[in-house]
Amino acid sequence: MSQSIQKQVSLPERGHRIFDMVRKFAHGAPEFEVSLISTAGEYLRFGNNELGQSQFTKNRTLSVRVASGKKQARTTTSRLDESFIRETVEKAVAQLGTAPEDPDYLPMLGQQKYQTVNRYHTRTMEESAETKAGYVGKAIELARKNKLLASGVLGTSMDEGLILNTAGLESYYRGTGGNFSLTMDADNGNQTGFALSTFADISELDPDKVSQTALERAKLNRGQSEVSPGKFDVVIDPYAWSEMLFFFIVSASAGYSPDFGMRQYKEGRSYLSGRLGEKILGENVSLEDDVYHPLQVGPTFDGEGYPKSKLTLVEHGVLHSLASSRISAHRYEDALPTGHELPLPNPLGESPVNLVIRGKGPTRTIDELVGELDKGLLITRLWYIREVEPRTKTLTGMTRDGTFLVENGEVKKPVRNLRFNQSLLELFSNVEKFTEPVRNTSFGGPGLLQPGILAKDFNFSSVSPF
Amino acid sequence: MNSTRDLGEQLAKVCLETASLDNATYADMRLVNTVIETVSMINENPATEESNDLGAGIRVVHQNAGWGFASTDELDPENIRETTRKALSLARGAAKIGSRIALAKEPVHVANWESPRKKDSLTVSTETKFEVLKDATSAMKAEGVVARRGQIISTKIEKYFANSEGSRIYQDLAQTGAQIVVAAKGPSGIQRRSDQQYALEGYELVDEMDLTGKGPVLTKEVLELTRAPGLQEGRSDVIISADQVGLQVHESCGHPIELDRVLGYEANFAGRSFLSPDQLGKLQYGSEHVNIVMDATLSHGQGLGTFAYDDEGVEAQRKYAIRKGKLVGYLMSRGTSQSVGEMRSNGCMRADTYQLPIIRMTNVSLEPGDWDYDELIEDTKDGILMVSNYGWSIDQKRYNFQFNCEKGYRIKNGSVGELIRGPGYSGITPEFWNACDAVCNKKSWVLWGTPNCGKGQPQQVMGTGHGAAPTRFRNIRVFGA
Repeated sequence: MSQSIQKQVSLPERGHRIFDMVRKFAHGAPEFEVSLISTAGEYLRFGNNELGQSQFTKNRTLSVRVASGKKQARTTTSRLDESFIRETVEKAVAQLGTAPEDPDYLPMLGQQKYQTVNRYHTRTMEESAETKAGYVGKAIELARKNKLLASGVLGTSMDEGLILNTAGLESYYRGTGGNFSLTMDADNGNQTGFALSTFADISELDPDKVSQTALERAKLNRGQSEVSPGKFDVVIDPYAWSEMLFFFIVSASAGYSPDFGMRQYKEGRSYLSGRLGEKILGENVSLEDDVYHPLQVGPTFDGEGYPKSKLTLVEHGVLHSLASSRISAHRYEDALPTGHELPLPNPLGESPVNLVIRGKGPTRTIDELVGELDKGLLITRLWYIREVEPRTKTLTGMTRDGTFLVENGEVKKPVRNLRFNQSLLELFSNVEKFTEPVRNTSFGGPGLLQPGILAKDFNFSSVSPF
Repeated sequence: MNSTRDLGEQLAKVCLETASLDNATYADMRLVNTVIETVSMINENPATEESNDLGAGIRVVHQNAGWGFASTDELDPENIRETTRKALSLARGAAKIGSRIALAKEPVHVANWESPRKKDSLTVSTETKFEVLKDATSAMKAEGVVARRGQIISTKIEKYFANSEGSRIYQDLAQTGAQIVVAAKGPSGIQRRSDQQYALEGYELVDEMDLTGKGPVLTKEVLELTRAPGLQEGRSDVIISADQVGLQVHESCGHPIELDRVLGYEANFAGRSFLSPDQLGKLQYGSEHVNIVMDATLSHGQGLGTFAYDDEGVEAQRKYAIRKGKLVGYLMSRGTSQSVGEMRSNGCMRADTYQLPIIRMTNVSLEPGDWDYDELIEDTKDGILMVSNYGWSIDQKRYNFQFNCEKGYRIKNGSVGELIRGPGYSGITPEFWNACDAVCNKKSWVLWGTPNCGKGQPQQVMGTGHGAAPTRFRNIRVFGA
């Protein structure tokens, strides 16, 4: 059985019907916006060489934003029968009466034109569970043959969304995605190997390559030595570190909130505030927000339906521009909307959600980076990253599932896991070489296209007992 | 008439009949209705959202060899039949790869349970909540302050559970949470102070928190922190505040006693655990002062891990995980308990809305000790007091941890002295808990709520409870941010 959803009514058609229903009930709200989101996923999750958590999920969410004057309110429901839609709308309208005025409220956005992207791949949704279980079964079989335990997930999913409003806006998106994340381990996790592949079209997936990579790393990662903490040159695998790179755009200092937005910058809430034009990374690094990149994910419009622009946030290491919105353009004379608003009302501020991190010059493969490392560590996965200090973006976290000592361009031996305390800004001032960026959607954060790197002086502060 | 319970009964009948016709060894269905209202203020900008998510999650076992799970929010009988068949199909596929499923016995329960609340948070007007947040965030205005945040979250969760063994359980849970955060910029960069609490309570929690009263106190502290000295790296005795001890328990005890991690089922994402079954009853995890319970019962308090039955119909229980420092128990499920010789699950299967239940913490709490807080300070000649978490990180087997706190104080000759910005401490879990020599008593013990624990693929978010009191640890590695 595949996870393809046999719908008699398309999402846009259903959305228009709901929009008409909302109009009937939204008395007292001159403006309203309807968002209808549908998601479905199939996740074959396995551990200990058993397929123990096979899951199919499906849900839909209707979100209604109503506005009157400078007041607005939002209510959301998964119940799409008329009586519940009525209740949802009436609750939102009732909240309008008591909500405080939002000083940033702007009339809803009218009709827009969007650049088309094709992110929906039928095969991803129609691939049978049996076929996918076959991929998992082969990985488990390979692990068993090598006296290892396989664990991980092979997941495929679809999301589809529509925004309609009373000003004539209609924004529609659908896309597919998935990932195959695999760990092979033994000796209660003292010997582990990890591999990951992400895809929009499941035809891109090479499950045998994922299995072989996890196996090779697990075989190599046996009988680790302990190295003393300190500064090491490192090669970081491109799939190793989404969570760490996420901290480019998020800070804990004001409660978890996005950083590259115009409002946060101007209000002084961002670690970047006051630093436009300042060199914050190495001159061989650029940071873009580019929803149109062929490997990117998600819609080409923001939370209120404004078309997204491609942004160069950091160019040659210099903080160059910020994510902005209609609200910022209205607040600040020097701001233009760029299509980076979150769903409204949004007191947090704007955020880039389609990051592309690039290095200048010719790229290398990960094996070439290892070949060019005289002495240092190869890191295949980083884990549990948190902010220690916001302005320098000092982060702490751990290595896991395979850290290897490299000498004269060759992997020599595995080492025990290490804790790091490292400034992200300093790290990206010390990068010498990059791989091509890869898509990593497994983290669940923004769409990240991230490179592997060879960098100097990565700071490790302590060692784990395994 | 209760609509969630009635709909649950009707749909569960369809689900269980469908599973039975397919000769499923076991089946259960949960209908879960979740209503969440979030009211927020950031600086001058208000936001309100109310969401209502109703859906059904269905688990089935095929020939004691394969689990299948499917969920849906289309709640007509035909779709429930279809979703049950989908779960059965996945279970047959899983059985081919070869699992071994043996469910520990659990009595049949037929019950209705409503969590206690004095004031239903969802019936308190949004206007009242905005007033509280506006007052609190206005009270945090000051030169140098760059962000003032406040949030009140009101949640109602109704669950109807039915399984093929005859259990029929309806639960109605009310949770409330609130948070205020103030950030300021000064010579030492950006500093933060915050206060939050989440519990299985009604709006009385917000009334008791006195957010407006705390606003100016936190603001004064955060401004002082922007001018305060940092901490040099070294070793020191530390006294850790109750809220931070709660998170320490969560990360370094709660997660490693999750039996699915221990057995390797979470190795790819959440990780494994250093508390392997061969250590059970043997490992001296901590000092004799360390007693940690897993307690979902109401008698423990109204925490985010309090309920009457877990999400596979097992009655809430109280068990020790660590007793006098020794590892004695795990958080378990019906499918895992027998692997460590336990004939009954202790009821730790929980799910985010109507997703797949997995082993989660309930209330995992450090039991209070004997010390009055003032006596503990007086007894400390040279140490650091660390208060309120800023950041937390721990390795995948839960050995090597590092925590950063929002503020600290030097303790000299039994008195609290100089303020310190961004103090941090780190260690290896069993070494750290064995360095514990004093736990404060019930007078300063609080059942803290952690609302955002992530686990599972696709990831689920769960609220957990952690009772803790200020606690002292000897000769710990400390450092500054």
